[in-house]
Amino acid sequence: MNESISNLWSIPLFIIIPILAAILLNVLYSRKRAISVTAVVSSLALIVVSVLSPFGFHWFTGQPAVLPTGGYTYRADLLGWNLALEYYYGPLQQIAIFLASVLLLFVVLIAINSLKKNTGTYISLLFLTFMSAAIVIMVNDFYHLWIGVEIGSLIVAGVVLATGEAVSQKAALKYTFFSALSGAGLAIALALILGVTGYANISDAIIAMPLNDASLASVLYVAFGFTVLSWIYAGGLAPIHPLKADVYGSAFPHATILLQTQSKLMLVAIGLVILRLFGTLPFAKEVMLSVSVLTMMIGVVMAMLQTDFRWTLAYLIVSHSGLVTLGISLGTVQGIIGGLFQAVNDVVYMSVLLLACEGIYYFGRGTSIKTVSGIAKRAPWLAVAAIIGAFAASGVPPFNGFQSEIILIQASLNYGMPELAIVVLMVSVTTFIALFKGIYNIFLRPDDAPQAGEKQGMPVPRMLYVCLAALIFITILFGVYPQLAINFLNEAALKVVYIPWVP
Amino acid sequence: MESKALKGSRGIIAVIALMIIFVGVSTSLLQLNGNVARGISPEYNALAPYEAPNNLASWVYDYRGFDTLIETGVIYVGALVSVLAIGRGIVRTKGVAEEAPVAQSSMDFHVSSLNVILKYFGIPVIILIVAYSLLVLTGAATSGGGGFQCGVIFSSAFLLGMIFYGKKNPLNLSKKFLIGIGGFGWALYALLGLPGYLVTGYWQYNVGADLWSSGLISGVSGMSAVVPDIMRQIFGDPFRILLVLSDGTYASTAGIVPLINIGEAFNVIGAIGLIFLVFAYGYTDEEGKSK
Repeated sequence: MNESISNLWSIPLFIIIPILAAILLNVLYSRKRAISVTAVVSSLALIVVSVLSPFGFHWFTGQPAVLPTGGYTYRADLLGWNLALEYYYGPLQQIAIFLASVLLLFVVLIAINSLKKNTGTYISLLFLTFMSAAIVIMVNDFYHLWIGVEIGSLIVAGVVLATGEAVSQKAALKYTFFSALSGAGLAIALALILGVTGYANISDAIIAMPLNDASLASVLYVAFGFTVLSWIYAGGLAPIHPLKADVYGSAFPHATILLQTQSKLMLVAIGLVILRLFGTLPFAKEVMLSVSVLTMMIGVVMAMLQTDFRWTLAYLIVSHSGLVTLGISLGTVQGIIGGLFQAVNDVVYMSVLLLACEGIYYFGRGTSIKTVSGIAKRAPWLAVAAIIGAFAASGVPPFNGFQSEIILIQASLNYGMPELAIVVLMVSVTTFIALFKGIYNIFLRPDDAPQAGEKQGMPVPRMLYVCLAALIFITILFGVYPQLAINFLNEAALKVVYIPWVP
Repeated sequence: MESKALKGSRGIIAVIALMIIFVGVSTSLLQLNGNVARGISPEYNALAPYEAPNNLASWVYDYRGFDTLIETGVIYVGALVSVLAIGRGIVRTKGVAEEAPVAQSSMDFHVSSLNVILKYFGIPVIILIVAYSLLVLTGAATSGGGGFQCGVIFSSAFLLGMIFYGKKNPLNLSKKFLIGIGGFGWALYALLGLPGYLVTGYWQYNVGADLWSSGLISGVSGMSAVVPDIMRQIFGDPFRILLVLSDGTYASTAGIVPLINIGEAFNVIGAIGLIFLVFAYGYTDEEGKSK
């Protein structure tokens, strides 16, 4: 828990590798072979680094910490005021970055296999999406968190714009416009926290926070309000959910895998920062819980109303973001573990569903339940994958969604709010209904209008099945043996509750 | 956003929300007036004379240099996304009939309608603006300004050239060149972190200034590696300046800060120049191929 190393070798690589890969890919632009090699090697390198790396800190630019007793130290386990920008790589960051880098590899492979010409810029943006997610989950600095959110929003707009469709342009423009508020909110909160404490480093700010100074209490409340606002915008929580759902629905389904991963990691990172900085303020958790419940309810109801499988998934991703934030908002060790585990599981099972949706898209008739049918006959394994994904998302054992949702229900009951447990159950049931409405129509309903000479799109690439198999394996693995993931999440939850000044 | 979208209840909610935000921020600022905590800033200020005489350069490109790397990325990504909206980098799925990309038309410049005096006036002005941008860049560590400002000023010269002379203006920067130079700038900035990383393990450690392993500042514990002399010669000495201040004389060197500024300048020139060029003349892949 108290790693002393302040120059951990791996941390800069998680940022620099994607930056250099993105620059190179953008310059390569249409050279397919070079793009493939660069993208695959870079994403494999990220996976290897995430697995091999020990835990520790990185103080960028190598400035030491100022000791309260005078002098400077490079030991991260000593109490000192940080001159440098600080990143932390611990068990939570390891599982998050490992998963994100595996998903990056899958998405890159699918993009290479399914897209034609000029893919350099698009894949470059996928790498930058990974980079922004890695920044927010590792950083222990409010100013840098703001930059991570700011660049992340812009990258999301780019990934959506790459489809070139009018609906994507509209979604990207709206998202860019409103997500600027997210960055601005964090910037104002940063300014106020800097004014009150004088430190941008989150640990230092917590230690210097004048919680007993009544004259500055309202400043802290305003800072809290702006941080929550940016949390809502960055994660697409209610009442901003339609913007994020538009983004998820307008991007290519495989790209949405990375977009939702980035979004979940932002929710986790900013949520934990809110708890660490403002967790002791009265009503802080209640505000966060209200936002979470609203997001879950609205998201799942909107998902039920959709007639396009892509948009059903888009709203379910939003709704399940509420499950993640519910656990974090409870602020108990069990609740935070549940929220973090839900984020991990959500990213995995939603990726299964999104890849199944990508497969449907390849048949060339879109993803609407009105126009597509009888896919199970043509691609039975795709149907199996979609059904497994739907079971996992609905919290059916033995899949991973069940394990995290049961923790969330227990945490809600232990917190003394059984009504939250009922909401979680309701979300599970309605998720099941919304998904199986789509799955029945698209996969199981007989193909009632097969047209002679109809263009059949492209065959589902084998690579997509390989990625699906790997993700389903993780879904079942975490469902059967949840401790495998929870072991990575315990430390973060314990620190937030008991020693919030330690990143 | 259409103005009618803000009529009715939405408009009222928006006004109330803005008022709450305004009141919240105003009262917070009033309460902070005179109560602002100094926090870490005195430490930064105490270290400043050992580095760039322009204190801001030390803050932005050294102590918080990695923040600025990602901020530089915001400019790069901004250009990437803006140009994507115009058409560069739109992708299509194999074998799937997709909606045609939204067509973007280029702006209609009438260069021929410009006054002759303006046309002759343009070249010296462009030369002066470019020279000024280089002046701002080279003085990054010692005076106000730096790579970003250089990039913006240079790009304004490019825009002026486009307005006065059209696509074939005196600077005549192509899209490919701007994309390349923008990427080169960001990559140069990122890779300038490598010498410090290899020598001390800290990314972007300022090997030229080397405040912490050179023994310049006492009471430092726990630094495991020191910067070899060869590194100091490469990155430090050309920029060393004697600073005579009221509390003493400092041999000040900005180390890699001026080099980082060069990377920043290339990035900004590439990004903003590309936005100007593509927004004015549009982008088609066929055009790039024919060249």
